[in-house]
Amino acid sequence: MTAVAPESQSRPLLDVRGLRKSFGGLSAVQGFSLPLPERGLYGLIGPNGAGKTTVFNLLTGVYTPDEGAIRLGDRPLAGLNPHQIALAGMSRTFQNIRLFGELSVLQNVQLACALRTKRHLFWTLLRTAGSLHREAEVRARSLELLELFHLQHRAHEPARSLPYGHQRKLEIVRALATQPKVLLLDEPAAGMNPQEKRQLGETIRHIRDTFDVAILLIEHDMGLVMDICERITVLDHGETIAVGSPREIQADAHVIKAYLGAADQL
Amino acid sequence: MTDTHQSRVSSQAGLGRTLWNALWPVLVAVLCGLVMHLAIGPWAGGYASTVMVACAINVVLAVSLTVVNGFAGQFSLGHAGFMAIGGYTAAGIVYYGSLLMWGDASPSGSVLSASFDEVAGRPWLAAGDALFVVACLVGGLMAAIAGYVVGLPSLRLRGDYLAIVTLGFGEIVRVLLQGTKGQIQPWKMSELAETPGWRLPLHLGGPQGFNLLPVYTTLFWATAAMTLSAIVIYRLKYSALGREFLSVREDEIAAQAMGVNVTRAKVRAFVVAATFAGIAGGLYGHLTGTMNATELDFKRSIEIVIMVVLGGMGSISGAAMAAVLLTILPELLRDPPAIWPAGLLVLAIVTFTQWRRRRFSWPVLTGIIVATIVFEVGRRVAIAHAVDLADYRLVIYALLLILMMLLRPDGLFGVHEFWDVLGLRRVPRPGIDGRSEVEA
Repeated sequence: MTAVAPESQSRPLLDVRGLRKSFGGLSAVQGFSLPLPERGLYGLIGPNGAGKTTVFNLLTGVYTPDEGAIRLGDRPLAGLNPHQIALAGMSRTFQNIRLFGELSVLQNVQLACALRTKRHLFWTLLRTAGSLHREAEVRARSLELLELFHLQHRAHEPARSLPYGHQRKLEIVRALATQPKVLLLDEPAAGMNPQEKRQLGETIRHIRDTFDVAILLIEHDMGLVMDICERITVLDHGETIAVGSPREIQADAHVIKAYLGAADQL
Repeated sequence: MTDTHQSRVSSQAGLGRTLWNALWPVLVAVLCGLVMHLAIGPWAGGYASTVMVACAINVVLAVSLTVVNGFAGQFSLGHAGFMAIGGYTAAGIVYYGSLLMWGDASPSGSVLSASFDEVAGRPWLAAGDALFVVACLVGGLMAAIAGYVVGLPSLRLRGDYLAIVTLGFGEIVRVLLQGTKGQIQPWKMSELAETPGWRLPLHLGGPQGFNLLPVYTTLFWATAAMTLSAIVIYRLKYSALGREFLSVREDEIAAQAMGVNVTRAKVRAFVVAATFAGIAGGLYGHLTGTMNATELDFKRSIEIVIMVVLGGMGSISGAAMAAVLLTILPELLRDPPAIWPAGLLVLAIVTFTQWRRRRFSWPVLTGIIVATIVFEVGRRVAIAHAVDLADYRLVIYALLLILMMLLRPDGLFGVHEFWDVLGLRRVPRPGIDGRSEVEA
């Protein structure tokens, strides 16, 4: 491997190869590959039940892949526990919002924010100066993040009392608080109106630029995906049927067939 | 950048702060203990003192169980098992330790370990106290180890299944303890001399119970333990670790995705809870001078769970208040006193709370008034017809429990502490701060 690649591109940040997962006889995902470069903003689309969320669950360790490799930087992730994967730098939001409802907005962020600080049981109970210092730091950083996303006014309310759109936003804030290298967003625009969706698009781009993360986005809203994603992977029945830029995808016959059915069936 | 700078500056003052934070809870605990032991105990009398000690021990148990059942959301039914392990360990150490060191199992404690009518002529500190304290701490340690072992299966089990396993654990502990050999009596010192030290843990009294233990537990030790455990668990709740526990309760999958090691969090919760239960067990055994595993069965575990549930799953002050309430209630019902002053007090507090939150709930207010009147009328009628209510106290107790669960299904305070509910701290109200919705 002495030859320098022509575009001088090193290995992608997140390198997924040949992922396969089946539940019993049902093959949920097969042959899924994805090279996500640093600061990339990629999309993952497909009809309902195509296996998009399964891919997310495989990437974040909720399911263990039957086959295939996942690398983040130099680190192989396949087979690790979800919390190890989070620590390695992959964070996600959930399609059906999974906030810690009884905890306050601030606590939700603090929990994620404390991921990379030491949390020793004994020192916590003694309240050593070090543990207090770390705690104060986490709190300050969490408040800062909330302020960036205009949620600081509601920092002390329970998360479940937030309106729906804010809850979605808080999920993103919480995922960002773990200081990820890769951020996986599972249908962030679900249930939003067109104006909110446009704003969300702005926000996502903004996040990529400010926080220096690579983003993989699952979304049903084609307008949003085509607008912000650089490359799109299309899944159908667990198989990758097309990969390309938004324009290529829009013109792809397989994609049109998967979404609308074949011409002869119409 | 600024972080390293700050930490360098603060490292000077850091050591002092660390020491202070480690020490003041102990000082406060000792102070509370002294006040209760030397002032309030003698004033209240022997019977009331005993009830107060029982309250304090139950508070330790309830507050510690809050860590598992409340914070981490794991339903444990084996708290009495941890209590038994700690209690028997402490009892064994104190009993055989006293026999071996002093040739006598009578207490050799100081002023702190004697009830107020036996204080005269005792020193302020004595070797017996040290033995007792060390024994209780070792009891806590043993219970912690057991907590670790029980915590492990909890990784795989959820809900009812975990409850069954912990219940089984408690019963196993009880049966094992009842299966030990009879204790070596204090008047058989020759037998004690012949028994090698490692065999002593096998002689824990068996089905007859472990008797003739020196009595050390006083209002001082019980109050000190209660204060200390409350402070420690309060610190736990409002720390990164406490948030981990709560996140596991709220949503395990999301907690994992945010980097929480769910396994470790659950085991830690069990270990912390078991430690304090073990210490409470040590206090319990040396209160009456008898450890009997028969009393530390499944029913005892349930009692503690009721305290936690009634207090609100995850509220430290709630669990503590529920523990006090449920300990005093059966005692009060022996001779039901006039309840209307207490009713008025509760009414005043609730009205104040609701006034602070600008939200009056008339059903709750009328509910309190009606309940007070019904109870008072019932009491008067019983007195007029010469019915002894004490005979029915367990029935009334059960009825009150059912009523409380119906009226407050989330417990007294839910996950909050009572000062949150009273509105003593400024927490932004949704109505006022809700404007941000529009601009965002």
